[in-house]
Amino acid sequence: MQRTLAIVRLTWKAAFRFRLFWVLAGLLMLSVVALPLLIKDDGTARGFTQILLTYTLTVITALLGFSTLWLACGTLAREIEDCQMQMVVVKPVARWQVWLGKWLGLLALNATLLTLAGASVFVLLQVRAARLPADQQAILRNEVLVARAALREPLPDLDGMTEQVLKDRLKDNPVPPAEVPVVREQLRAQLAARLQVVPPNHLRRWEIDLGLRRALLRGQPLFIRTRFHVAETNLSGTYLGLWQVGVPEKTRVWREALSQAADTFHEFKIEPDLFDDTGRLTIEFINRNPMPVLFPLEDGLEVLYRDGGFGLNYVRGLATILAWMGLLAALGLAAASLLSFPVAAFVSASLLIVFLSSGTLSAVVQDGSLSAPDHETGEVRKTWIDYGLIGFYRVLLFLVNAVQAFSPVDSLSTGRSITWGQLAQAWGTCVLLMGGILGSVGAFIFSRRELAAAQGTT
Amino acid sequence: MTRRSSTPYKLLLAGLVAVLLVGVSLLQGQLNGQRAELGLTRITPLENAPPVLAFTTVALGSFRGLIANALWIRANELQLEGKYFEIVQLADWITKLQPTFDQVWKYQAWNMAYNISVKFSDPADRWRWVRRGIELIRDEGLRYNPNKTLLYHELAWHFQHKMGQNMDDAHLHYKQQWALEMEAALGSSRTNLAELVSATSPGLRARAEHLRTKYKLDPALMKEVDDRYGPLEWRLPEAHAIYWAVAGLKLTSADRQNKNDLRTLRRVVYQCMQQSVLHGRLLSLQPLRLEADLAKVDAANAAYEQMIANEPDIPDSFRVAHRNFLLQVVYLLNVNGQRTDADRWWSALREKYPQFVPANLSAHDYTLQRLTGGELNSLGHDRVRTIISGLIANSYASLAVDDDTRAASLEFWARSVYSSYSTNIARGQQRIALPPFPEMKEEVLQRFLAPESGVDPRVVDRLRTKLGRPAPAANAPPSP
Repeated sequence: MQRTLAIVRLTWKAAFRFRLFWVLAGLLMLSVVALPLLIKDDGTARGFTQILLTYTLTVITALLGFSTLWLACGTLAREIEDCQMQMVVVKPVARWQVWLGKWLGLLALNATLLTLAGASVFVLLQVRAARLPADQQAILRNEVLVARAALREPLPDLDGMTEQVLKDRLKDNPVPPAEVPVVREQLRAQLAARLQVVPPNHLRRWEIDLGLRRALLRGQPLFIRTRFHVAETNLSGTYLGLWQVGVPEKTRVWREALSQAADTFHEFKIEPDLFDDTGRLTIEFINRNPMPVLFPLEDGLEVLYRDGGFGLNYVRGLATILAWMGLLAALGLAAASLLSFPVAAFVSASLLIVFLSSGTLSAVVQDGSLSAPDHETGEVRKTWIDYGLIGFYRVLLFLVNAVQAFSPVDSLSTGRSITWGQLAQAWGTCVLLMGGILGSVGAFIFSRRELAAAQGTT
Repeated sequence: MTRRSSTPYKLLLAGLVAVLLVGVSLLQGQLNGQRAELGLTRITPLENAPPVLAFTTVALGSFRGLIANALWIRANELQLEGKYFEIVQLADWITKLQPTFDQVWKYQAWNMAYNISVKFSDPADRWRWVRRGIELIRDEGLRYNPNKTLLYHELAWHFQHKMGQNMDDAHLHYKQQWALEMEAALGSSRTNLAELVSATSPGLRARAEHLRTKYKLDPALMKEVDDRYGPLEWRLPEAHAIYWAVAGLKLTSADRQNKNDLRTLRRVVYQCMQQSVLHGRLLSLQPLRLEADLAKVDAANAAYEQMIANEPDIPDSFRVAHRNFLLQVVYLLNVNGQRTDADRWWSALREKYPQFVPANLSAHDYTLQRLTGGELNSLGHDRVRTIISGLIANSYASLAVDDDTRAASLEFWARSVYSSYSTNIARGQQRIALPPFPEMKEEVLQRFLAPESGVDPRVVDRLRTKLGRPAPAANAPPSP
């Protein structure tokens, strides 16, 4: 361990010697201070806080990400090329320990810089929030500077229900086997529509089980987050719905007539204690429009409740970013274990760009071809390249999605809770699994590499 | 030390740099002139841009397009996800990357005012986005594109349609907020624009400057517009729609190429004049109460006639609009007790569009038809009774707010419907007869005064005072 720590110390010393630490700290501080002066918000305290959190954390992540990659490639590849590594590996320290020491050094460096920048953002937010009028502060504390978790109705087993109905139908009206898949698909669509569509002047009820949380949620306001679609639009662009939360004569009841736009998320506050003694919250919506409205099963309605304070959620968010940095450090070191500094930097930066281009990857995988589909017919013409590359892209997309699934910036700016479980999952996936694989490969290559053969020309 | 690194050599190079820079700066103006003359560039030079923007647009070169594309994609994705807090910033960057592309300004402003605003339930939130849309064109779009007619029309359209009409659930809130802002900005000058133009006192000068800098309103043009189409109610959006349409018209030459631009701007003027007649009188700000402004009928009519005269190619569509406007005027004048004027406009309508007005139909009968929603003989007993009760209730409501003329007029029309029905339809048939008119009046009054009517108690008290009805005794037994 001592040997590994010695390498950690050396990595730190190098970071200070090359003034990298101070430059990065300066850039991070500058971004935290300058961004609030430069960005344009929507004019609300909530909007300002959200954009500030999003932009500062994104800039911090981007700066640290690129510098981590650069440093990881530089600290190993340059030392090999400059023959400095030869002086280290002749000491009684294993090559894997050198590799691990470098990775830990980079992680510690990132942790320090992230703490510094993160703390500055936090203080900035708190100071600005404290200057706001009381009503704005309340909005911030309830909707942004908070950790809110969501509860939904359990998703129905559509496939199971479809099979059951199909079985009953086939018993009475048999169809040729070739037509069964079509019938199944139609039945599934019918069942999904029945669960999602609210015809004019009809009612849709959701029952959300708060479970044991009910004891903690007494006296707490809850928020409903909802989204619906309409088949035909009207002139005003908004649709009237009568909302009722609670059951008359059983619980307190909250009612409101809301005229809301389709295809977007709406969030509204409801009074506390509208659930019954068993913790069941009943929500009803009456469609008062001449057209049907559709609440998607996945995200049509959810109830948001306070799960904790912003501070701890923020720390978990930063810790998730640190997990990303751990993965990037492992990627940079793995590349530098095999390649020269410029090539390693190029390869890892390219991979980072691929990581940021998941939208394109996803579109390619969805279309099944690198070439765009025909705009007239929608037909996709596959070439031999597609057969080779799509599989590779699919794996790449899987990995990218696995990492991006833990995006803390979005959760923090919308006041959504990042749980300890999610944090553990992020570290497990990014650091232990992916970082571990990269680390093993990198350390193995580094152990086998003939260092004296990789001298630079200078 | 080599010869090349010696101090005189460095000084020589520095001098050469200075000479070349001066030479380039002298030539640049001439080169730009020749580029424009020879048509070597299709990019309009950016005017009035701050140094940062001028630098960005030049330094990024063709990469501006790529960055703008990425920003458009992000803005679109965020909007689909319902995250609007970044939209203002993204719109700012997108428009700054394409500052002379007027469609970009138009789209971004429209998106904020029309698409994003309605995503919010709270009228205050909606107003913020509508105002953002207006500000984007007025404060920035027109700054970089002072000669683009499209932007003037779009700005006028926001005032005319988004704020002035009632397509949005929150339109009353928009009107109220704008009226409050304008009242603060114009103060007493809203009815005396001449004093703003001359600005003889420091207070007036400050007010005129505030209008110029914050609202980009030129007092001289305001006065010109007011003299021509007014007096306008500058606290309402229609006056501003007309102002921006006129500002655009002044920039647009009357050649064939600009015919469509001219047409759309002129259309804003006459449509807004019509809107001003319908709800151009501001009775109170809090709560917001608007009323028809019949004093503007002549000016609105003149605007229609001017439009028809300006459009000899397609006069029919404007004539239909004019005819409908005159019909509306007759109805409004009659309902508001100005029966002589209504008859005058009815005659004008008959003279102008004789094939459209049946010879045996009078202004009185036409108004009666509009009030009842059709021929009396096609309406049932219950519907006629409801219409009469409604007219009486509106008459009492007008009386309670001291609008005695309108109250008397509404009672007149209630009596007209009553007598027409009794004479022509019921004709003494007890089966479908209406109760006596005084009885109906009393019944409506009792409903109006009852605590459960939902009418503001202060309004009820004023009506009681006006009619000399005593207030109910405390703890009085409920009426049977």
